[in-house]
Amino acid sequence: MSLIDLVVENIIKIPLESTDKPDVLRELVQVLKDAGEITDFDTALAAVQDREDKQSTGLTDGIAVPHAKTPAVTSLKLALGISPEGIDFDSMDKQPSKLFFLLLAAPGMSGPHVEALAEIAKLARSKAFCKALVNAENAKEVVELLTGD
Amino acid sequence: MSKPVKKIMVYIDGTEQSITAAQYAICMASFSDAELIAHYVINIKAMDDLLKARIFLQDEELEYEHDMEADAERYLNYANELAIAKGVTITKKTSRGSVSKELVDSIKEENVDMLVIGELSHIRSRMDEFYDETERAMRSAPCSVLIVKDPMKVWELYESLV
Repeated sequence: MSLIDLVVENIIKIPLESTDKPDVLRELVQVLKDAGEITDFDTALAAVQDREDKQSTGLTDGIAVPHAKTPAVTSLKLALGISPEGIDFDSMDKQPSKLFFLLLAAPGMSGPHVEALAEIAKLARSKAFCKALVNAENAKEVVELLTGD
Repeated sequence: MSKPVKKIMVYIDGTEQSITAAQYAICMASFSDAELIAHYVINIKAMDDLLKARIFLQDEELEYEHDMEADAERYLNYANELAIAKGVTITKKTSRGSVSKELVDSIKEENVDMLVIGELSHIRSRMDEFYDETERAMRSAPCSVLIVKDPMKVWELYESLV
């Protein structure tokens, strides 16, 4: 399974409403719950928060990749959120994060999880593309950008 | 004329698609009396990339590596059980590195005639970043490649095998 298979409009939220790190994690997990991708909201959120407590997944250039293994999912789940204003996510370069890729994987699916994260890492290297994503006006536009349609 | 397919390799990555591919490969091995190798690649290359990108912590990389080792054993054992149930012998193989390179090297080393893989993504993004490791292996494999589709039909075929 490729990351692109997970990209559908109902797992994308633009703009994110949160203004701080705890809230944006909650909001992204809620996106998955609203999309019917998870039922156990609390377990999923706790897994993501536990990982963030070890070290922020806020990278450079406005990108954050919160991720976790959790029994709250049975397959790989992606939520994508965009905050054009940016949110303080304790990122490496201390700049606000604007583009959030939340990835949840079931224990026992480490292979597909690692490959999906690696695809996000490759995307994150393209500053022009990430800028285009941040400037997207709606979920449909994001899907079109990612799929190249 | 000698048998066109003497040795089959099926790539197992823990996805449902790869298990379907294993079922089909078992059927093929049984029908053609071919040797069958099930190969799982622990994607060290991707984990190194994630560490460099600082998406992974050092501890996290080790944890995922251990997870992948456990996954490799579990999924290869499952493929083995599927094969034993149909009287087919599977050789289990685990390697570490980048998926496509490990598969290509293994195909050459083992003189594999056919690589069997699970269904690929329906979406073909024009973005280079969205490449699928299995798709890359398909393109670079030095032997014929069979992409297995229709899990229900494959399951029926597998079940019908005595």
